[in-house]
Amino acid sequence: MIHFLQVDKTYPDDIKALTKISCKIERGEFVFITGPSGAGKTTLLKLIIRAERQDRGEILVNKRNISRLKNSQVPLLRREIGFVFQDFKLLHNKSVYDNIALVLRAVGHNKKEIPKRVRHVLKTVGLEEWILQQTPLKLSGGEQQRVAIARALVNTPAIVLADEPTGNLDPELTVEIMNLLEKVNALGTTVVVATHNTGLVAQYQKRIIPLYRGALAA
Amino acid sequence: MKENGPTHALSIGTIAIAFFLFAAFLLFPLNFASLLEAWEKKVQIILYLKDGIDEKRIVRLTGDLEKEIGILKVRYISQRAAMESFEQDLAGYGGALKGLKADIFPASFEITVEEGFRTPEQIRSLASRLSTIPEADEVQYGGVWLERFSLLLYTLRWGVWVLGGILVAIIISVTANTVRLTLYNKKGEIEILKLVGATDTFVKLPFYLEGGLQGLLGAGVAILLLFALFRMFSVTIAPYVSLFLGEMQLRFLPPSIIAWILGVGVASGFLGGLFSLRRAARI
Repeated sequence: MIHFLQVDKTYPDDIKALTKISCKIERGEFVFITGPSGAGKTTLLKLIIRAERQDRGEILVNKRNISRLKNSQVPLLRREIGFVFQDFKLLHNKSVYDNIALVLRAVGHNKKEIPKRVRHVLKTVGLEEWILQQTPLKLSGGEQQRVAIARALVNTPAIVLADEPTGNLDPELTVEIMNLLEKVNALGTTVVVATHNTGLVAQYQKRIIPLYRGALAA
Repeated sequence: MKENGPTHALSIGTIAIAFFLFAAFLLFPLNFASLLEAWEKKVQIILYLKDGIDEKRIVRLTGDLEKEIGILKVRYISQRAAMESFEQDLAGYGGALKGLKADIFPASFEITVEEGFRTPEQIRSLASRLSTIPEADEVQYGGVWLERFSLLLYTLRWGVWVLGGILVAIIISVTANTVRLTLYNKKGEIEILKLVGATDTFVKLPFYLEGGLQGLLGAGVAILLLFALFRMFSVTIAPYVSLFLGEMQLRFLPPSIIAWILGVGVASGFLGGLFSLRRAARI
């Protein structure tokens, strides 16, 4: 599903983010990318959605070499991937409904279908319908992250990438969100979670891709 | 646009001011041109004759002048007819005119020029040819004023283009800055849209449209304002101006120029949006 082959990434000022990364994530897998801050976890996720480009090596997503994609093809790649952020990145001036529906509008979904899909995904992430008219700031951190996951799932992506999804949550809400991601994975979606929380990783017993200073740790 | 209401209102106001100046400046040559046309219609050349030319020669000269290219009508004014006309014009001063003799008034030809020959250059050229006739003493025409006025009109016409260019640059810059402000306000939304697979067109089109709409509204407001002021001017002030400049038919901008201004508004606003997106950091 996702295949890294000898991937290097260096940022300006010669900051080496990733060095010779080779790894494989299979379809339907739940994988943790672990490592301390600055290990290269976020860069690795950004490379998968081509928000950054590698300097060397190849990255295959769904058997497509994404470094060879034309710029106009990148949106199509991103439609297959849902992204969850540590800080949720919800639009505070829009309702929960609009935050989720935004994705469907952006990819040109049938207008009549949008409300149905939004309600369906809301149920999947365990939120009630009254929340749809609320703005994100009126919700708790856990609810906001559920909305963010709903937004990542609404377009039924094959892959969900989550960058420190529980970083801003207390332990109780962390468990809730991780259980939700497990549920998403159980529905057949490949889930990749980047986290520095070793306790969390130990608790969930999933495959780990450990990073340290931009390289795969032994 | 409603999310950044005050910024957009300010931007539309600035664009409207720029367009107002431009459109008002356009009105001057338009109306001066009609005044010039009216003056050109009235233009006559007076050819004063030397004394002592006999009647036979006058008849021959009249015939020769009528054949001259560019001359529509030739009317001979004898010395007596000139004196009578003078007396008529100054009828109120009858006493003062007593004792005047006809021979102090020169005979002349009043020459009406054909419609296609009423430009200042053509009238000057015709007058210059007529002054070479041996019997001609002096040739007069309202050429100096006509030429000065024509030069003013020419300068105004060019001025409109220069001013127009400057204003379009201002409009593009104002729109670009407003759109850029919106762009930064919506950075989060754009980032998310791009991450979920929105195409570039989907992300950028609203900004282009916003720029175009701002330009259109600015130009529209300017034209409405100018029209209101024009109406006010033509009702209250124009009659007094006519006293000095003669009968003057005031004209507002024709529909084709209004459409052109609105089009320039849309195009420059759209360009502003385009520039702001090009110059903005990659999102």
